[in-house]
Amino acid sequence: MWAGAIAIGIAKASSVLLALLTVGVVAIVVRTKSENAPWARSFQWSLKIGIWVIAIRTFTGILIGVPSAGRTLFTIPQIPLPTWMPGIRIGGVVTAERLIATAHDGIMLAAIIALLGAAASLASPHRLLRSLPVMVYEFGVAVVIATSVLPQLVTSSARIREAQRLRGQNNRGLQGWRRLALPLLEDALARSLDLAAAMDARGYGFSRKRSKYRANSWRIAEYILCVSAVVAVLYPFLAVAIAVIALVAVPSQKVIAQEVEVIA
Amino acid sequence: MIAFTGVSLIYPTSTKTILEDLTFTVAEGELVLVMGSTGSGKSSLLRLVNGLVPHHTGGILAGDISINGISTREVKPGGFAHLVGIVGQNPLNGFVTDIVEEELAFGMETLNIAPDVMRKRVEEVLDLLSLAHLRSRSIATLSGGEQQRVAIGSALVMHPKILVLDEPTSALDPIAAEEVLSIIHRLVHDLGLTVIISEHKLERVIQFADRIIHIKGDGRTLIGTPQEVLKSSDIAPPIIELARALNLPDISLSVRDMRRVTENLRGELSKIEIPPVPRKTHATPGVVIIDKVSHSYGATPALREISLTMSAGEIVAIMGRNGAGKSSLLRSIAGILKVSRGGITVCEINPFNLQGNDRTKTIGFIPQEPSDLLYGQSVLAECRAADGDNKIMEGETFALLEKLVPGISGQTHPRDLSEGQRLALALSVVLSAKPKVLILDEPTRGLDYAAKNSLIATLREFAATGCTILVATHDVELVAELATRTIFIADGDVVADGPTIDVLLSSPSFAPQVAKIMSPAPWLTVKDVVAAIFTTR
Repeated sequence: MWAGAIAIGIAKASSVLLALLTVGVVAIVVRTKSENAPWARSFQWSLKIGIWVIAIRTFTGILIGVPSAGRTLFTIPQIPLPTWMPGIRIGGVVTAERLIATAHDGIMLAAIIALLGAAASLASPHRLLRSLPVMVYEFGVAVVIATSVLPQLVTSSARIREAQRLRGQNNRGLQGWRRLALPLLEDALARSLDLAAAMDARGYGFSRKRSKYRANSWRIAEYILCVSAVVAVLYPFLAVAIAVIALVAVPSQKVIAQEVEVIA
Repeated sequence: MIAFTGVSLIYPTSTKTILEDLTFTVAEGELVLVMGSTGSGKSSLLRLVNGLVPHHTGGILAGDISINGISTREVKPGGFAHLVGIVGQNPLNGFVTDIVEEELAFGMETLNIAPDVMRKRVEEVLDLLSLAHLRSRSIATLSGGEQQRVAIGSALVMHPKILVLDEPTSALDPIAAEEVLSIIHRLVHDLGLTVIISEHKLERVIQFADRIIHIKGDGRTLIGTPQEVLKSSDIAPPIIELARALNLPDISLSVRDMRRVTENLRGELSKIEIPPVPRKTHATPGVVIIDKVSHSYGATPALREISLTMSAGEIVAIMGRNGAGKSSLLRSIAGILKVSRGGITVCEINPFNLQGNDRTKTIGFIPQEPSDLLYGQSVLAECRAADGDNKIMEGETFALLEKLVPGISGQTHPRDLSEGQRLALALSVVLSAKPKVLILDEPTRGLDYAAKNSLIATLREFAATGCTILVATHDVELVAELATRTIFIADGDVVADGPTIDVLLSSPSFAPQVAKIMSPAPWLTVKDVVAAIFTTR
């Protein structure tokens, strides 16, 4: 939730500097607070995905787009398109403004992905599920299966890469990805189905009401964090500062799970 | 308690019926064992009990299943949560929370049980399964046996009348397996719990079973007492094989009974002069040399100053508790794990530096999940890829596979193969490179006796060509049949290292069934006993 709020804040503030700063701070938090758990590496992976996003966004931004005014950097050959597609072109003049704008968008997207990855690496998706109320049961199951896929993909891809390296495969490049993808998806799907079946068998969502084994206690730090998250949407700059201070000060990462409860 | 009437099951994508016209009832307090070869539909039968099949998996179900008077047609699996506790094949995939205590409480929370009742039940179960000292541990850090106990515990807190267990001991070492099974046995006798259990390693469970359901795989099923079913079944644990080999009129299920029955015979056999076990006299050059290797994960040591030498043609079994350091040792030999101290050489090369084709020609590795190695769209594509990778004649890998398990269609997708067939495919892909060292991590998990025997034959043949084979396993019967040398690891140390016969006979809990029956005679397998009798006549 906190990650979501900060992400919205970044998107609203639309500033590259702020986005990069936030990702930096979050990276420090992840480094200091993360457990040695299977899902802890999600952040690194989300960073990698983020870099790809920047690259692809910039590339397509250069290649395809509406002609815009500005200082011309260089020109790439333009592919003629039929006349019924006015305003769109492939190739052509690349202006500095357009390059900056696309890179800017790419960094924004990458920052948001990195933040969500950080949230995934700090709290297990299973914990999130427990906090969800029954009202959103069907939705909750779907969300958990979806969110648990990323950390699981990370764990199983490490295992599969290792196994395939032993088969003498070099897993770099496109071919490597194809060889990784098949067992990976199979594995993730099987696990998610197993989890869903286990939850079903244990009566999840069957009773409209749920009892709590142990009430969660609230402390000042957790309140500050929640307030900061709400403020983050409204005042990006201010909130990021407060939120970061709060998160660093809070010794337990229970917070994230609890916040979900609040919002829910 | 459980009544199946005329149950037939077929999956829409499959052409064969899983179950056909199955009718049986299970009374309260019965322990029923479901057996059958891999892929015969054991898991499907278990999941029919609480309606996960077909509510969760799809499939066409005919007939009626009634649990405590409630039909599974009318109620969803969640509605049976208070009645049926189910523990899946891989409990780790089914855990919803991270902490042991919370996991135990999860099921009760969903059923809206009052907090004070919950507290009481959690304490009860923690004591019953001796989990109290683990209550606040993270589940991911527990050993396999502990995880299995947590999974059983989280089913038991709901106070179910029926407990369904899908291969509960397949991933456990013999001691942990015995622990889990004795707990189940106690639950049946103390609480009158009805238990349905499926298992491949029959030698571990048949002595507890009241009845056996044998799924033949072609839709036919056989139901009866263990004696009735096992007398004629093609799937039989060593104890039954021994009874058959000795032509005993009755089948005994436990080591105790078998020892009583064979008392005279053992007396006769004890007069035989047992030739001493042939021991290696001359030292052969080591293929795998491990010199004072230590490794630790953070603060926990995994390997402590291990020194071992393995030579060509040896089949070495590595045994030990869950988490004893077996995998760390295998992974360091395979060159995936960089050890903190000490040196390892495989064929005079540090395995960590091996790349590409040099690697496949030196070390073959079959991981716990053989499917990790496979990525082809069909069996044939997989074999062709291996041919290309290893620069051998086209079709050679497939020919090898055909020899291991005849009759696999080349068009089949690797995912649709049975557990044993998939292992065979991975094995033929790895073996086609003709590695000097072959490493297998827990290869018999989920394998039936037939698949296991064909694996043993293949590995023996391969070792005879001068290859060194290392197998990490919990399966004592496999070790007894296969290994020439056994290494026992505990807590990162080599505790015992010697010829299989010496190591297995010296520890009663790791001794195979035949050795327990025939003790003190040094025979590990049915074959050994038969050969000994043959020499007397």
